Amino acid sequence: MRILTKTSLYYLLVSVIVFLLGGLSFYKILQTEIYDEVDDQLFTDKENIIEYIRSHNELPNVTSGISEAIIVRETSAHAGALEALSDTLIFSTYDEEYVPFRKLTFTTYQDGKPFEYTILKSLMDFEDLFESTMLAMAWIFVLLLIGLAGVNYFINKYNWRNFYDTLERAKRYSLTQRKPLLLKPTDTQEFQELNEVLQAMTGKIHNDYLNLKEFTENASHEIQTPLAIVGSKLELFMQSDNLTQAQASMLEEMHASINRLSRLNRSLILLTRIENREFSENEVIPLHELLQEQLDQLHEMMLMHDIQVEIEAMQPVFVEMNIGLCEILISNLLLNAIRHNSTGGIIRISLKADELCIKNSGEPLQEEPVTLFERFRSGNKLSGSMGIGLALVSKISELYQLTPSYTYEEGLHVLRLKFQKNIS
Amino acid sequence: MKLLIIEDEQALNASMVSYLQAGGYTCDTALNYHDGSRMLADQHYTCVLVDLTLPGGNGLDLVRLLKKNNPDTGIIIISAKNALDDKITGLELGADDYLTKPFHLSELNARLRSVIRRRNFNGQKVIKIGNLEVFPESAEALVQGRKLTLTKKEYDLLLYFVTNKNRVLTKDSIAEHLWGDHIESLDSLDFVYTHIKNLRRKLVEAGGEDPITTVYGMGYKFSF
Repeated sequence: MRILTKTSLYYLLVSVIVFLLGGLSFYKILQTEIYDEVDDQLFTDKENIIEYIRSHNELPNVTSGISEAIIVRETSAHAGALEALSDTLIFSTYDEEYVPFRKLTFTTYQDGKPFEYTILKSLMDFEDLFESTMLAMAWIFVLLLIGLAGVNYFINKYNWRNFYDTLERAKRYSLTQRKPLLLKPTDTQEFQELNEVLQAMTGKIHNDYLNLKEFTENASHEIQTPLAIVGSKLELFMQSDNLTQAQASMLEEMHASINRLSRLNRSLILLTRIENREFSENEVIPLHELLQEQLDQLHEMMLMHDIQVEIEAMQPVFVEMNIGLCEILISNLLLNAIRHNSTGGIIRISLKADELCIKNSGEPLQEEPVTLFERFRSGNKLSGSMGIGLALVSKISELYQLTPSYTYEEGLHVLRLKFQKNIS
Repeated sequence: MKLLIIEDEQALNASMVSYLQAGGYTCDTALNYHDGSRMLADQHYTCVLVDLTLPGGNGLDLVRLLKKNNPDTGIIIISAKNALDDKITGLELGADDYLTKPFHLSELNARLRSVIRRRNFNGQKVIKIGNLEVFPESAEALVQGRKLTLTKKEYDLLLYFVTNKNRVLTKDSIAEHLWGDHIESLDSLDFVYTHIKNLRRKLVEAGGEDPITTVYGMGYKFSF
């Protein structure tokens, strides 16, 4: 949940609770006040009536009071409920509904005879007042709530904008872009601190990355010359006439290792150069032609392993890439399909406008497919590959926004390459 | 034929000299830019092997200089940098070939031969060894006057052998020569074996003598 939604929701929740409690107490207070007032009036009427009886020694005119109705009843001397307050509902024929009344019943004496007085007061007016007040309150509450929530939302949004900006930039940040992480300065202390921490952190990582890359680059380049020297000396050594069988096989092993190292180093340099975006010269390449060319070149190798090639689809597809990298990409994919195949297996190739799909038979993978595109991952140690082929494929794909993926379907390894920048 | 090798790594320089001298070349060496340019001004060379990163200057400037003063001298650039730009610039400036370190001496020799052959129009158009004749221009080979039917790879292999005759050629160097360096080792070594077997058979069928010997499993040697 976004922080804005979250704070807004909490705000709303607290507001609702506060307003509900407030409304409830307001209701209670108002009700108490109204009852107090009505009861006061009823008691005043009572005092007046008693006073009237005492001074005039006769029953007062019933219409003269404040109250809506005064009922007088002669009562027996014994049934002397002195005083009682209660609520009652009386059916009004005019309104055709029950109307709430407050009732005060008391007994008084005139000429020694007890009279029961019942004073009734309508609560209708108070009820109406009460209702309108509560309604007004409710409206104020709703409007206040919406207003405050809105203001809160916008203030928060305004305050958090720098944070979102930072977040967006940090998300888009990539070490390989070779630019430091630039963040907008902000006057919110916490966000400013966050920015500084992020900048310092990425700066450090960036530096480490550059150092490491520089080291790899330099190391790879510097290794070339000693390799050349050792290789050439070994080659000269091999020309000696009086070598024994044992010496010869040692030389052969050394030479093979040096070659392996040279090739590995060359591949690493190539990877570094791809990462450095050194292949900037792109051209429009007919992928179908290049694929066919590579297939022809590898024909021999496939014959040797008795591998059948089936072309499922070969549509004309044009991509804009560096020709050298495109060749490496395709040849590595094909080599991979040959290398991890079984003798007498098949390779199925399908080139369509949106994807290149290469399927090959072979043993199922021993490891997670996600690690397949990493360096030095070689599914089968016997195949003699250094596991750098697919790392190259992955790097080149990354450069041209192609998406490689691996699946295992119906006993076939399937490597797919999705094109985006297709301009056919 | 006189060569100049401009390479600042003494040990590598010595290796090249040693291998090429045994192939019948006369080799001069220079270890830095200034010696190189001085020697280029003083003498005429059939071909110059030049490193790009030299103490005292850039090898590309030597290529420029050479193109201006001695346009008929062959140039092969040897560089530890596999930078595409350098390669393109070098070839655009007029270098005949570009080799990236590390390389096989036999490969260097083959490239050198090829450059000299291409440049030397009036020179030797046929390479004769024993009863074998190879015609690089038409990519044909004769044994005792009879034409051999060779595949492209077999012909390349034969030419590579002939160029490096009496030398032990490792399977790795043959594989790289025939298929380039993008093919990884194990598979291509089997190919080398197959191709050599076929080439031997064809040579033997045509001439009766097998010029290719296996040297202790280290490699192969072509000799008559």
